[in-house]
Amino acid sequence: MILISTGRSLIWQHWDDVFVVYQPSSAETHVFNETTAWILRSLEQGPQTARRVKEAVELALGIGNGDLGANDFAFAVWRLEELGLLVCREEAVAA
Amino acid sequence: MIIGDLSRREFGEKLAGEGLRVQFGPFNLLIRSNLDSFASLAYPLYEPYPVPDETSITDFHVRIASPPHSLRRWIRKQACFALDGHSPFAPYTLAHAFPAFEWGVNWCVATRSHHLLMLHSAVVERNGHAMLFPASPGDGKSTLCTALVHSGWRLLSDEFGLVRPEDGRLLPMPRLIPLKNESIEVIRRFRPEAYIGPSFHGTRKGTVAHVRPPVDSIRRAQETARPRCFVFPRWIANSPLLLNPIAKSRAFLMVATNAFNYEVLDEGAFRLVGAMIAGCDCYSLSYSDLDEAVAALGELSGFASG
Repeated sequence: MILISTGRSLIWQHWDDVFVVYQPSSAETHVFNETTAWILRSLEQGPQTARRVKEAVELALGIGNGDLGANDFAFAVWRLEELGLLVCREEAVAA
Repeated sequence: MIIGDLSRREFGEKLAGEGLRVQFGPFNLLIRSNLDSFASLAYPLYEPYPVPDETSITDFHVRIASPPHSLRRWIRKQACFALDGHSPFAPYTLAHAFPAFEWGVNWCVATRSHHLLMLHSAVVERNGHAMLFPASPGDGKSTLCTALVHSGWRLLSDEFGLVRPEDGRLLPMPRLIPLKNESIEVIRRFRPEAYIGPSFHGTRKGTVAHVRPPVDSIRRAQETARPRCFVFPRWIANSPLLLNPIAKSRAFLMVATNAFNYEVLDEGAFRLVGAMIAGCDCYSLSYSDLDEAVAALGELSGFASG
């Protein structure tokens, strides 16, 4: 699975472990936890495989490789996709 | 020149004739009314407000008058508020013309002033630093604000946190403060010297009475202030005083969702609210005793400005 950010012009505010994000394309303001925010941040340089993104998020959160629950990660990705902030593509299709 | 430089008769004649020009902070109004009862109520309450000169631009042409060509001019008399000749609201009973006019002016500002970010918030100032009180109806914002401005604070507004996008400073609009129901007697007891107009019973918001802000606040209505502190107040019967810091992310959302035109201003509003929250201390306040609340906020202002 390849994750592709669609929110390149997002505007960020960050306090403690909460991220408040403005999405110009929808004029919406979102509140994200660290996991969700780091998924978006890790896609800023370009599309990544879901596995790479998960590893990057774990590194940013300071937890061990594999310690971020697969369900938690999948839920965050699903939520970002629902908001139009990323799209998921099968690797073969994306290639 | 201020309204008080006009005699009561001149005041009524201007309202009924070419219109009376009044300045409320950044806004100039031209007010017309053929209701002598309105003039009688408005004269003492508007007495300290400045009259802009004839060459200045008028922001709102407003009118409170009996409906034209209607039996209501004689039977169960009514009053209509109009902006630029259009009446956005159903008529009010004549006895409620004054509160209807005050609400109408607020409506004009809230719907026509998108060159400013408009927070739904009371704003007071002390030592050059503004304290904002964003709140929902019933949270005691106006009561607390009235108590503060009769305790050494300057009123910027009881309803609108007007933020200038260019520099994030707050523009004063020290209009009358409408107190509702029990709050009227609370303030009469708290500061018997406060100038409070007559009570209007059975309005769409219950019993309403208007507090005239201290003259110093009206005189300094062109003096902007820097936002320094957000306090989210809540009056709770018999509650002990609780003044606690809150997370800035939570404060951001409470301010943004309470703003009149956050969605209208888009990204600009996000940046302005973000900058304000970043530069301010943020607290929640629960209280039941006004003296305690005023004292605690006084201490907080000393701390905040130190």
